[in-house]
Amino acid sequence: MEIVVCVKPVPDAETRLRTAPDGTTLDIEAVKFVLAGYDESAVEQALLLREANPGSKVHVVSAGPPPRTEEVLRASLALGCDLATWVETPPGVAPDPVSAARALARAVSAVPHDLVLCGKNAGDDEAGVVPGALAELLGVPDFSAVLDLRWDAGAARLRFQRNTEAGVESWEAPLPCVVALQQAWNDPRTAKLPAILKSRRLPIAKVSPEAAAPTVGTTRPTKFELPPPRTGAKLIEFKTPEEAAQKLVKVLKEEAKVFP
Amino acid sequence: MTGPTLVVGEVHDGGLSDATKEAVGFAQSVSGKENVVGFLAGSSSRAPAAGFGRCGVARTFVAEDPRLDGAVGAVVAHLVASAADSLGADLVVVGGSTFGRDLVARLGVRWSAAVATGVTSLSRTGAALEVRRPVFGGRATETRQLEGAHAAVAIRPHASAAPPESPGETALTAVSVEGIPPLLWAPQRLGVKVVPRGAGPSLTDASIVVSGGRGIRAAENFRLIDELAASLDAAVGASRAVTDAGWRPENYQVGQTGKQVSPQLYVAVGISGAIQHLMGMISSRVIVAINSDPSAPIFKVADYGLVADLFQVVPALTQEIRRARGQ
Repeated sequence: MEIVVCVKPVPDAETRLRTAPDGTTLDIEAVKFVLAGYDESAVEQALLLREANPGSKVHVVSAGPPPRTEEVLRASLALGCDLATWVETPPGVAPDPVSAARALARAVSAVPHDLVLCGKNAGDDEAGVVPGALAELLGVPDFSAVLDLRWDAGAARLRFQRNTEAGVESWEAPLPCVVALQQAWNDPRTAKLPAILKSRRLPIAKVSPEAAAPTVGTTRPTKFELPPPRTGAKLIEFKTPEEAAQKLVKVLKEEAKVFP
Repeated sequence: MTGPTLVVGEVHDGGLSDATKEAVGFAQSVSGKENVVGFLAGSSSRAPAAGFGRCGVARTFVAEDPRLDGAVGAVVAHLVASAADSLGADLVVVGGSTFGRDLVARLGVRWSAAVATGVTSLSRTGAALEVRRPVFGGRATETRQLEGAHAAVAIRPHASAAPPESPGETALTAVSVEGIPPLLWAPQRLGVKVVPRGAGPSLTDASIVVSGGRGIRAAENFRLIDELAASLDAAVGASRAVTDAGWRPENYQVGQTGKQVSPQLYVAVGISGAIQHLMGMISSRVIVAINSDPSAPIFKVADYGLVADLFQVVPALTQEIRRARGQ
């Protein structure tokens, strides 16, 4: 099975968020970028599928600016992906989701792909748009919120579950298709030092983004705002649990006005 | 000049879903009540379409085909793009559901739409559309300009109130389901297992959420959380420590890797407030924390705090709430 995994670099979850000097985006100066959480799950899923189906290959693809995009591709290679392709976009702000999908589609359509795995969304913009837009460009079905993906070697169809508002849905779908994973692994693999060192020397194929990318159907960030810092909880003083309960109910009723 | 706005609906229990009604309310306030048109797909879409009428939507497109029941965004996007074109719409609005997000992603390509999900507000300045949406788990808000002639947005749950319902008719226009590529029909939904979640509201829909964390210590103690939630008609959530320990199933998890909620009131019981958890609930309007450790990070983000032994204070709180609500 030829598996393609799409990944995105995002600021580390511990990043202290600041607004860039021009006010339109996150200030990425000195921000440490890592593989997005659900994308890391997608890489793990791809590697598990490869292990269960000898002869399979995992090809990691990313579209974004230097140097962070190259870094997450190398991190994915260090985890065990076989091949990597980078659609390099101009430095600075990442492309908006549909533009990123267009860039990824150029790379994915040029390589064999039975299954395209994505994370459900990336923890920065939390858009979750790339998988659907990519599938539309590739002309294949896509499935979001996917858990418990199964494929038996040689089978024409993939089986999986989806965690939707309706409940847990069971699905069967033919290949190729795009799958956006919501899976969280308890114990995903981590890269070993020799693999990390080796990944620095592995080749990364480059694909150029479209020369004249369409500007219709794109979105452009114009403002990035942080909430006023939370000042910390107003602690309720009490002597007995009953008094604590009465005071909290009173404050929810009269001050916060959220008592049902 | 405001073009028509198409609201794509979803059916839940035979009627319009709450997320759809919120999308109608959102579209009406952005585009004006008279400019909003409904859309529904599925074998029995005519009856729920009446819900659009009661929400003040005068016209609704219906695509009736049993194959469209539970259909994913891919299939419906074809029909929506044609309907939007025939209407001359410039904006498609959907609710903040899995289906809604999938649909707008497809429309980004199929309808050349500028796409935004998780949208809390949208403003029109002349022809320009601008959206605001929380990012980084609610730790920041971004504003984006939507470029081009078409836009498709999925709103964030509760970003808008459902319109008040009143008697009203909606005129139905049938939509042909021809022309959808056979490949998109091929996937099959084999079944749905409705996850039991008790009698309360669902986590992402609830206006009050009560969550329990590691401080609850054992699965059997979680009934304290259930009882507190029941007294408030709240949904029950849990931190990752609880779902990892198997005290509650995974679908209870609130956090970056679980459900993201933004209720009016969030009560965190025995939850320390790891960043993982905060990213799932920090955009709640009012946060109450109950924890015995005064240095727990949850107190930094909470509005009100009780530094207390939850085993003493939670039963007292449940009782007080029941009394105050006359239960």
